[in-house]
Amino acid sequence: MNRSSLPCLFVVTAVTALASISPASAQGASAGVQEFDPQAFPGQVVEDVVVPVPSEVFSVLDKLGEPNWRQEIRTVNLPKTPDRTKLSLLFGLVVAEGFVAVQAEDKEAVKDIGREVIDLATALGLIKSVRPHAQAILDAADKSDWASIRKEFDQTQKTVRDSMEQMKDADLSQCVSMGGWLRGTASVTSVIGKSFSADRAELLNQPMLVEHFIASISKMSKDKKDHPNVADISKGLKDILAKMEGAVDGFTKEGVREIGKTCDSLLTDIQAAK
Amino acid sequence: MHFLSIRHLQRTAAASVAALLLTSAPLSHATIDDAHSFAMEAAVPFVEQGFIVREDYWNGEVKSGQKLMVRHQMFKGNEYAFWLGTASEEVAFELKVLDEKGKEIELDFKNQGMFATVRVNPPKTGTYSVVFSLTSKKEKGLYWALAYGYR
Repeated sequence: MNRSSLPCLFVVTAVTALASISPASAQGASAGVQEFDPQAFPGQVVEDVVVPVPSEVFSVLDKLGEPNWRQEIRTVNLPKTPDRTKLSLLFGLVVAEGFVAVQAEDKEAVKDIGREVIDLATALGLIKSVRPHAQAILDAADKSDWASIRKEFDQTQKTVRDSMEQMKDADLSQCVSMGGWLRGTASVTSVIGKSFSADRAELLNQPMLVEHFIASISKMSKDKKDHPNVADISKGLKDILAKMEGAVDGFTKEGVREIGKTCDSLLTDIQAAK
Repeated sequence: MHFLSIRHLQRTAAASVAALLLTSAPLSHATIDDAHSFAMEAAVPFVEQGFIVREDYWNGEVKSGQKLMVRHQMFKGNEYAFWLGTASEEVAFELKVLDEKGKEIELDFKNQGMFATVRVNPPKTGTYSVVFSLTSKKEKGLYWALAYGYR
């Protein structure tokens, strides 16, 4: 991830150098298709992907209606495990659950999640850097300062991923992002499923993010890639990607339900003891 | 040398950090963090308008005039702002956002001193390309940081 912890710029130079970045220069000459081809970009493509936080999607759902976010809060099972891959996935899941609790403006749920953040950070050996954020979350919950809590959850997730990358564990950093994305997407599919509309369903058009996660897994070390949860996530993401790519005319209610079911199944496995 | 206004200094800690960097650190010691501080300075007026700043951002060092592109997921219904900062003086900025057909969709490009900003109202949910460059007559390599926010 090309964030502040990694000062080097990871870039790839486009194989095909074109004279300009205009659509005309990127179009397929024979087909006459006006699609912009990022692979033909005449410069450097920054490979790093910034994964949106769940509240970026939740805010749109709020604008399209008034979801009952309290109905979306789930109890997180934290299995006692030394398995750092599972703990990293759980960390992302818990932070995403925090964003749901903020949407619901549920002070007690936020506090519970703040304590789970502390437990997970302790298990991951990252409590020193996470404790200030976790305390800030608990303090802001007392004041019902939802904007600050949202910011702290984002900061907490970044701090953990940066720490993991500093420890040369970029694979675990990706697991945090994946756990968060899966939980956020499960919430989104649940809200859309309860009040389906094309505008709501369009929020699931996220193939680049899914491709990014699939590619990240493929680049992981063998022990991470073969981890049962990660292997299942890879398979599940491929199913989700196929559904996203198949939704040429928009997502159907059934398609949304299937994406949600895949996410829920993976999240259940992440929270299982083994 | 670009100096911050007193008004900005009073606004946010981010602006204060940027000011400290400007007054205490020679530009020859400029870093990627300095570039991010200027991107955050650019974000200040947007935050006052309700934008939420993301903690994650892109950064690096690039040759003067070299075009860069990041691909980013945006959601229809949100408004986005991108803030491009550098640690170098007298830099000319380019900052565009392209849809999947390569059509520019950014609004209100502004540049001031060591940062540039644009706003975006994505017409569809999907992947967009943020294309940018920094050009300097003085320096061959430039540190940059690109951050974003939404509301």
